[in-house]
Amino acid sequence: MGKRVLIVDDAAFMRMILKDIVTKNGYEVAGEAANGLEAVERYKELKPDVTTMDITMPEMNGIDAIKKIKETDSEAKVIVCSAMGQQAMVIDAIQAGAKDFIVKPFQHSRVIEALNKVTG
Amino acid sequence: MSSEFDQYLSTFIDETKEYMSTLNEQMLLLENEPDNMEAINEIFRTIHTLKGMSGTMGFSNMAKLSHRMENVFDLIRTEKVHVTHENSDLLFAGVDLLEKMTDSITTGGTDDSVDISQVVAQYERVISGEGVEERPNEKTQAVEPMPEETMDETGSDSPIDIPHEILHVLKEGKGSGFKPYYAKIKLEEGTLLKSARMYMVFHKLEELNSEVLYSKPDVEKIEDEAFDREVEIIFLSKLTETKLVQAISSISEIENVKIFVLTVNTISGGKKMDERENIEQAIEKTDSEVKNTPVMNNSDLTQEDEVETSRRPQSASSKLTRTIRVDTEKLDTLMNLMAELVIARSRINETLKKYEIKQVDESLAQLSRNTSDLQNIVMKIRMVPISYVFNRFPRMVRDLARKNDKEIQLIISGQETEVDRTVVEEIGDPLVHLLRNAVDHGIESMEERMKQGKPSTGIVRLDAKHEGNNVVIDVQDDGKGLDREKIIAKAVERGLIDEMSAAGLNDEEIFSFIFMPGFSTNDQVTDLSGRGVGMDVVKTSIENLNGSISVESEKGKGTKVTIRLPLTLAIIQALLVKVSNLVYAIPIASIDSTLNLPTSEIQIVQSREVVVIRGEIIPIVWLKEVFQLSVDDEKENIHVVIVKVGNKKFGLVVDGLLGQDDIVIKSLGKLLKDVNEFSGAAILGDGSISLILEIANIVHQNV
Repeated sequence: MGKRVLIVDDAAFMRMILKDIVTKNGYEVAGEAANGLEAVERYKELKPDVTTMDITMPEMNGIDAIKKIKETDSEAKVIVCSAMGQQAMVIDAIQAGAKDFIVKPFQHSRVIEALNKVTG
Repeated sequence: MSSEFDQYLSTFIDETKEYMSTLNEQMLLLENEPDNMEAINEIFRTIHTLKGMSGTMGFSNMAKLSHRMENVFDLIRTEKVHVTHENSDLLFAGVDLLEKMTDSITTGGTDDSVDISQVVAQYERVISGEGVEERPNEKTQAVEPMPEETMDETGSDSPIDIPHEILHVLKEGKGSGFKPYYAKIKLEEGTLLKSARMYMVFHKLEELNSEVLYSKPDVEKIEDEAFDREVEIIFLSKLTETKLVQAISSISEIENVKIFVLTVNTISGGKKMDERENIEQAIEKTDSEVKNTPVMNNSDLTQEDEVETSRRPQSASSKLTRTIRVDTEKLDTLMNLMAELVIARSRINETLKKYEIKQVDESLAQLSRNTSDLQNIVMKIRMVPISYVFNRFPRMVRDLARKNDKEIQLIISGQETEVDRTVVEEIGDPLVHLLRNAVDHGIESMEERMKQGKPSTGIVRLDAKHEGNNVVIDVQDDGKGLDREKIIAKAVERGLIDEMSAAGLNDEEIFSFIFMPGFSTNDQVTDLSGRGVGMDVVKTSIENLNGSISVESEKGKGTKVTIRLPLTLAIIQALLVKVSNLVYAIPIASIDSTLNLPTSEIQIVQSREVVVIRGEIIPIVWLKEVFQLSVDDEKENIHVVIVKVGNKKFGLVVDGLLGQDDIVIKSLGKLLKDVNEFSGAAILGDGSISLILEIANIVHQNV
């Protein structure tokens, strides 16, 4: 049984890309969310093994979502998805409790490395 | 473009197009309210997402442009650059280029065909002009590699400079179980966001209750990514070497970690490892050279993030809807199948009526309800809000107005009105034409308007609404209006009418000349009439959609063009009526009510037959006269179907009412296109054919 991943990104396109990468590498997609608020809800409901979290999203950004998720589950494993030029936000996300980060455009091997490291 | 992502292309295109319309919308808002933080944030986020998406798809030109735009918006967001007319033109130029690239990608090309160099150069000027000294160069690096010279200080050969205080701490020994460690951490080649990655090392050590005393390069340089791949640190920790190596190696993208304890013994013992030697040397040296080393802490790194987290007020327009995207061809097929199903149901109904089988009544009723619901849903699936078309107009009008040096406010209403997607696809160009005319020729120059005592800002209104089975779109301006005399002069000159008969024509008839092919090709007329370019083209496209177009105008006050289009082209509810022995269908949407009256109640008002219903005088039309069918003997009672055309009511006299049914409109075909009493034909349940009445035309021709 593959580890279950919750994919959070406001762009359906990015979710699709990630979904593809993770499922091709033996992970299972537990669910998707398109903003921070939804991510927190879905996290509570699905209890995924690991969550990939975009930073820049409507309603609630990824960093706040990580904080909220950490409040409900201090063991939550979150990988931040960042774009170039979001260095400072990535650092903020790590402070908030993210376990690793991956940078868009995604390299498959990096995504998998991050997932393996975080869930391993 | 990497082929592995081809499968994502259509999603990419669809989503990018949505983002384009958000960008245009928010940019317009921003131009009017340069301080609108919500708009700025929405734009920033949209461009940011575009950057990520285009990068993922391998559209590097698009990624580069959006990256620069993001930089500029970052400056706007942090109030280092302000939105002015000039730079909003520049930003719009960027949006245009993005749109061009999207179009090129949509049509099977790439983003390379669009030249972005000029705009990018201008953005770079903005970026380097203001506020650049407060920005770390992290953002520009992402596209261009770090300049070489920033790497020079980090070569592993140079001895590490340990500040005096730290040496002091080391020499004293910190006691209480803390051991001083030296670590050399090397990132993998090609690591992105190196600062953040290195921060993870610091963060990890912090989590493990370790204290970083010193780093080379110093923290400021690490933050600025002014290092190659290696960082050396000295820290205090209670953990063992192995534990520390494990912990740090668990971080992604760390190529290797070397850690060893710095004991006073080690330091003075002079072991033969390179790093240790360096440190020894360094320790010897430091007394003369004390350097102030900032310690990496949160406040240094989070300045930018405070801005980031305050970006939260989000616009509702970016709400999430759970949708799937479906090929329109499939929808068309579904629609056709639905239509066939409706016909089949009617035929079953007809057949079963003859046999009066009670047992199937209930299930038949159920089937009827289900098909109706299904039909409704299929129709709704095909409907899209007309905002799909309207959205691009604010931008267009703005550009046109600026080009013509006019001030124009475009007021859009009814953009939520839903119409069939085929209509949406076709209506765009005619509307562009009409708006263009309104801006170019309708609205006067600012000086002219002032002279006339009008407000200097011209108003163009675009409105959509439902009216029965039609959608009505008005394009209205408060400009100079059509010049009746000049149109007549032109029409006479062209030999379309003679002066005598022109005098007898009403405004509507005069204005309809502007729809004549070739009438408006003369520039002078365009200018004089304030209207005109290609109105015949507009008329033709509207008529191809089974629609109609009309124009009202008052000199000096403005012009209003009204387009009337069928909502959908496929299935309608109709009342079937009998005239003589033929069955005709009247669209339910046009019907107000039906009556059964004694023939004696018909009155004559101004030599016209009318009936008076609840005090309202309603002209009547005998359909059998219209269609020249054999007239039966006078009956005592007549059936009248009251229909609405615009806001007027008319009565159609028929021989009998047969009932209401869903009918599938089939067009009459090209051969019968001049028959304007009928909008089409339908196959009825019993397999017979019924003609569908085009009420507006029948009424106009007979009243």
